[in-house]
Amino acid sequence: MTHVKEKDITARKTPDTANTLSGNAATDVKVAYIDNKAYEVKDGETILSFIRRHLGHDLVPTLCDAPNLEPFGSCRVCSVDVALTENGNVKTQASCHTPVMANSYIYPSSERIQKLRKNIIELVLTDHPLDCLTCEVNNNCELQTVAAKVGIRKVRYPEGKNHLDRKKDMSHPYMTSDFSKCINCFRCVRACDEVQGQFVLSMAGRGFESHIIKSSEVSFKESDCVSCGACAQACPTSAISDVFESKSVANVEKTRTVCTYCGVGCNLEVATIGGKIKSIQAPYDAEVNGGHTCLKGRYAFGFYNHQDRLKTPLVRKNGELVPATWNEAYDYIEKELKRIKSDFGPDYIAGISSARCTNEENYLMQKFIRAVIGTNNIDACARVCHSPTALGMQRTFGTGAATNSIIDLKYTDCIMVIGANPTDGHPVTGAKLKQFAMKDKPSIVIDPRRTELAKYATVHLQLRPGTNVALLNMMLYYIIKEGLEDKQFIESRTEGYEDFKNEILKLNIDEMERVTGVNRELVRKAAIIYASANNAMSFHGLGVTEHSQGTFTVMLIADLAMITGNIGRRGVGVNPLRGQNNVQGTADMGCQPHQGAGYLDVTNPEYHKKYEAFYHAKLPNYAGYKIPQMYDAALNGKLKALWLMGEDNVQTDPNTNHVRAALEQLDLLVVQEIFMTETAKMAHVVLPASSFLEKSGTFTNGERRIQRVNAVVKPIEGTKPDGQIVADIMNRMGYKQTDYDPKTLLEEISQIVPFFAGVKWDELGDNGKQWPVLPDGSDTEILHTETFKRGKGKFAYNDWRESEELVTNGREFPYILTTNRELEHYNAGTMTRRTGNNEILTEDVLMINPEDAKTHAIKNGEMVCVISARGKIDVKAKVTDEVLPGILSSTFHFPEIKMNDLTSSIADSEALCPEYKVVAVNIRKSKGKYKTGKTS
Amino acid sequence: MNTGHTQQEIKFSDESLELVRNIIARYPQGKQKSALLPLLHLAQAEFDGWLSVPVMDYVASLLSIKPIEVYEVASFYTMFNLKPVGKCLIEVCQTSSCWLLGAEDIIKHLEKKLGIKVGETTKDGMFTLKTVECLGSCGTAPMLMCGAQFHENLTIEKVDTLLTDLKTEGKRKTYLDEVKIDKY
Repeated sequence: MTHVKEKDITARKTPDTANTLSGNAATDVKVAYIDNKAYEVKDGETILSFIRRHLGHDLVPTLCDAPNLEPFGSCRVCSVDVALTENGNVKTQASCHTPVMANSYIYPSSERIQKLRKNIIELVLTDHPLDCLTCEVNNNCELQTVAAKVGIRKVRYPEGKNHLDRKKDMSHPYMTSDFSKCINCFRCVRACDEVQGQFVLSMAGRGFESHIIKSSEVSFKESDCVSCGACAQACPTSAISDVFESKSVANVEKTRTVCTYCGVGCNLEVATIGGKIKSIQAPYDAEVNGGHTCLKGRYAFGFYNHQDRLKTPLVRKNGELVPATWNEAYDYIEKELKRIKSDFGPDYIAGISSARCTNEENYLMQKFIRAVIGTNNIDACARVCHSPTALGMQRTFGTGAATNSIIDLKYTDCIMVIGANPTDGHPVTGAKLKQFAMKDKPSIVIDPRRTELAKYATVHLQLRPGTNVALLNMMLYYIIKEGLEDKQFIESRTEGYEDFKNEILKLNIDEMERVTGVNRELVRKAAIIYASANNAMSFHGLGVTEHSQGTFTVMLIADLAMITGNIGRRGVGVNPLRGQNNVQGTADMGCQPHQGAGYLDVTNPEYHKKYEAFYHAKLPNYAGYKIPQMYDAALNGKLKALWLMGEDNVQTDPNTNHVRAALEQLDLLVVQEIFMTETAKMAHVVLPASSFLEKSGTFTNGERRIQRVNAVVKPIEGTKPDGQIVADIMNRMGYKQTDYDPKTLLEEISQIVPFFAGVKWDELGDNGKQWPVLPDGSDTEILHTETFKRGKGKFAYNDWRESEELVTNGREFPYILTTNRELEHYNAGTMTRRTGNNEILTEDVLMINPEDAKTHAIKNGEMVCVISARGKIDVKAKVTDEVLPGILSSTFHFPEIKMNDLTSSIADSEALCPEYKVVAVNIRKSKGKYKTGKTS
Repeated sequence: MNTGHTQQEIKFSDESLELVRNIIARYPQGKQKSALLPLLHLAQAEFDGWLSVPVMDYVASLLSIKPIEVYEVASFYTMFNLKPVGKCLIEVCQTSSCWLLGAEDIIKHLEKKLGIKVGETTKDGMFTLKTVECLGSCGTAPMLMCGAQFHENLTIEKVDTLLTDLKTEGKRKTYLDEVKIDKY
């Protein structure tokens, strides 16, 4: 962090009001004096923030203070003199953690204070190597800056005992430490505790022996470190850093962009040298992540110039994919698309867009399929994750996006996290949720697995997978029974409540308790906690949506918010944790078969006309195929061409064999990719695309925040941004489309997507804007404040139903397999496995309860054979009580395990999101397809 | 920090667990971390006179706190041993009064007699020699502490007798006995 940055923050947080006041300030304004001059005091501020607010960042030097940490007061460099009368007797106070007192006289730079600061730094320097010229942080070292500022010219103390011979720790793929440079300021310890909540670092020993430890005094590699890098960014010297030397001033060129690894949308500051990426840090002034990010965002960028990157188009000739020029590839595609379109019709062609790509690229992709091909067969990977969220919330509220913002966590009194594992899947939001729960604030976790968050929760409802609807109905039952409904909200803002209530009260609680496996008293407790909090926020993830009753579950979560009046203000709402970086934007841009850009119904004559006029093209007025329907159509000969933008469907969609069989039927499979994937291997044409670091555009995060993605480096030679590829083909197909340019495309989008009306590329700034953005450019943090998008919120009751999978296969396959994520890897690992993350987490594991392990004589680390009605796989066992007996849970980052050979084609009844989370399986000890203990 | 104790299951005896419950009950709910120091003494007494990482982790789990919160405390106090110690831990005071009255000679004698340096343990695992700061018995200097017992007004002869006594099973009280009887 540079000082300029810090200054920016101070300025931003506290927009300056009038600066100095005259000596006779008005009586109702509290003042304090700095060097005998009066300045206005704000309630609760510290002396340091008071001085910095009025006189700038640099007047008082600090070492242990950091922008994203609580005041601490260990270094005393910020000491100032404070008197009760003008030029009166002074007392020295550490300004960073002492509240400013009205009418006090503060002398921040008196001679005494200057001497004191100098002496402190001198003492620090007696135990600090003076090898600045060769130090990694030379010129960006806070100790160096402060030493210079206080005017150290020599250290008067003789050389004594010191810690200069401490060994460096280079054990970890990312984190490094050199504690000979440590000044015991505790910034790393506090970052680990306050920002990430991991408690890996601490100060051990006493006096001269005080030193930083990692876990039980082990190396970074052996410790419980989650490599978020918060400590490295917080460290004022190079005592803790990373292998990319993020704090080196050599990294002068910096580009701000947005992370592509999840829906949190962390801002990243990417440093480059000579067109190559050197390191990534988290900007402190980012509203989304405020100086924090996770190891994927901060360190897992090495994939971008990995040798495996696709660098030339490939075209299938005589059964093999061979390198071709862009022209040859385009010729092939053009010819085939035109042939299929004229022989069979446009509905024999389909496209699948990508939530990893920008809004502008997604917009172009759906425009290409709709306006150029002439079909609504466009879908996106949101289908397999949050499509039930969009649909469920649309049905209840009228719009399918998070109602509130992450900043609302500061204002809420209760959190309820359902089917989400944010500390792994959404690490920065996860860390915030964890900080909330760790402070013993009311937290409810509903999850079949004892997740990290569940360990801190007030109540953990550990239900059987597939019984979300039963459990939430129980909660609603108890809310009504206890009379905790918000009658006024229900009356004025909702409809359908009476019928809903009657259905809920008819519930057979005995049966619900039995099927969920959760004690009714615990459910009642959770219901009371949620309903009686002043402000309660719910969060949900794929543990809600990837079920046959996914949409119904989302509707119930929305019902819970409505029945308790938790909608439409700060600190409440329904907040889906969107999985991919731009899954919100993909749907917003119309990559859905039934709704175009801006969620307008393609079958509605008025909107149909509007789209036709806007695209200057003839469009179909009926909905197209959803992804699972595309496979079925291909198998039935109804689909001949499929265009995939950045998705590895073979590995990530359920029931692999079914997907493969479908893709094999196609005449034309085009895949835009950055790496050769299992799906790309089946393609007729593979087009090498640029990664997010190589292109510009916008991503919309899980809180509807449209943020600018700025190209950090030029596209890797031989690749093109996905948007450019699509634009090229549109032109080839005879549609006049300008080149891929985010600015002009955003302008076009703002004309058709109602809630983008006021979005302009140049006005998005560093922190973006949250939609709806009105024509005047103002944005929206909270939805549904006065009325719902659909008018009144709609209560709708749905019975719990056992998943078809368990009804059909449950007897023969008595275990339930569900899936979960790990922090280190992203989805199928195409990117993260080509980074140092692969050294940290090397394999998938199957969690199995000790009881079940004993039954099958399976030991921790042994291979288990998991069998479903569709296939069998071998995976390594992790014996843990995180899962209940009868339940298994596996990660899915290593597709070679072929987890999706097991999963079924059963999907959510409404949105067709696959049911990844409930698979009936059986287990036995592996017969040794793999050697046990292969890696560890 | 020393991992040690990796082979055995770390669990307090029923009697100690009862004590643990009583100690925790002294503090308000949610403030169970306050019981950390007495629990560490108890753990050190029960698990071979020192605190290995698994033992500290066990204490953390009893108090529902983070393991590192135990490490930072245990490493702060000199009375917690983070390395294995002998059956008899001899702690010789070396602060002013004892030093003036010959603590250095006592230490040198012990080193010679036991064949170890300060901080080391005899090969037979019987004795560990440690120097400490003031134990608050200046009137009877020089002195040392073994287990929870003071041995005062030391002379070379007295030290020799003490060593012989300590080698005799019946005459040696364990740290555990003393911790339990004296403190709780």
